[in-house]
Amino acid sequence: MKKMGVLLVSVVMCSMMLDAKDYVVDQVKKTFIPHEVTLHVGDYIVFKNSDPFAHNAYTDDEANEFDIGMQATGEDIRVKMKAPGSFDVECAIHPNMLLEVTVK
Amino acid sequence: MKKIVLACLLMGVSVLAQDTSKWICPSEVPQPEDNKLTKERIELGKLLYFDVRLSRDDTISCATCHSPSRGWSDEVPTSKAVGFQGRVGPRNSPTILNSAFQKKQFWDGRAKSLEAQALGPIEADVEMNMPLDMLIPKLNKIQGYKELFAKAYPESKGVITKEYLAKAIASFERTVISPEAPFDKYIKGDKNAISAEAKKGFELFQGKAHCTDCHDGWNFTDGSFHNIGLNDGELTGKELGRYNVKARPAWYGVFKTPTLRDVTKSYPYFHDGSVKTLKEATVLCSEGGRYENNVKNKSEYMKKRDLSEDEVDAVVAFMHTLTGPDVKVDIPTSFPQ
Repeated sequence: MKKMGVLLVSVVMCSMMLDAKDYVVDQVKKTFIPHEVTLHVGDYIVFKNSDPFAHNAYTDDEANEFDIGMQATGEDIRVKMKAPGSFDVECAIHPNMLLEVTVK
Repeated sequence: MKKIVLACLLMGVSVLAQDTSKWICPSEVPQPEDNKLTKERIELGKLLYFDVRLSRDDTISCATCHSPSRGWSDEVPTSKAVGFQGRVGPRNSPTILNSAFQKKQFWDGRAKSLEAQALGPIEADVEMNMPLDMLIPKLNKIQGYKELFAKAYPESKGVITKEYLAKAIASFERTVISPEAPFDKYIKGDKNAISAEAKKGFELFQGKAHCTDCHDGWNFTDGSFHNIGLNDGELTGKELGRYNVKARPAWYGVFKTPTLRDVTKSYPYFHDGSVKTLKEATVLCSEGGRYENNVKNKSEYMKKRDLSEDEVDAVVAFMHTLTGPDVKVDIPTSFPQ
């Protein structure tokens, strides 16, 4: 019975992990592309940097706070969405770059 | 022969067809939904901007350090609160020109709007040194101001609060826009508006000199934050820049890229006002900063560009074309009583 329980929990966790999706947001010509993204708790934003210089992405949203640090050209950084809500993401170097995120 | 002529014609068309839109000044000023520009708000903000009674000892106004006759800045290396015990600020007065278009205000970007910025210098002890809990009651005793606030912001019913004060000053600041400069005429098609040397400088500015890595677009800033290597070693105090707002690694020692509009009027240069001339500033940037090594979080844009003296002169000549004619500002001579 105990083994069945562990198996059930494992199956549920695996299915949750399989359901998690990646949403690619590229940084091109000092612009987030796309500039808005809607995803679910557990999904990932994959930040790419196609510009020939460093970028960054951060949010001060309490529930989903993150700061990916300095991101070099060609580097991919995945960030997991932790809680539902809507918030803005900026580049710490180029604050005119704005990404609007909605987590459901 | 026909083919050559056609090729030349096509090349000409292609040059003419180059997208110059990013260099064209926008026709509208951004305004927040809750503080749209009106004549009453702008005029009230202008009175407040020039009124020395907003300082603790009635000697300093916003215009003392951001004067229209000095490129909406001043000409001393740091913001000098000349009226209050001679205290000297830690940073050079930035111009307020085109600040309506900036997403972050102050050298360290700590204010997200002009409304959020407007009250800071009033309270700063090295500037106007006027606590708002002293200023607001003082303003509410001036009947003339109460009437103007009631007209500009009817919902205030003439009761002056710090929020309405900030909105009024921000409204005036939003109208401080750079005048049409020779470069604007050039980019709109008047090929004789700037010299051949300046045209060469514009090419260098966008190319070999890499100025547009940061000073990009019609306002000649992309609003970005960088550590340009004015100091080496560990930084302390105000030199930490945006890192003082929040200790993000990317913000260590960084300051906002200033506009180059009317740049010949806003000397001295850089956040610490440590450079007197535009040529010295250009040389410093083209050499990759004052310090090449031992600069923590130095911007990757700050690299040696190997510009010859003639090329530096050309870039400077180009930047001179970003200064427009002096705009006559009717400075108030009487204030509400």
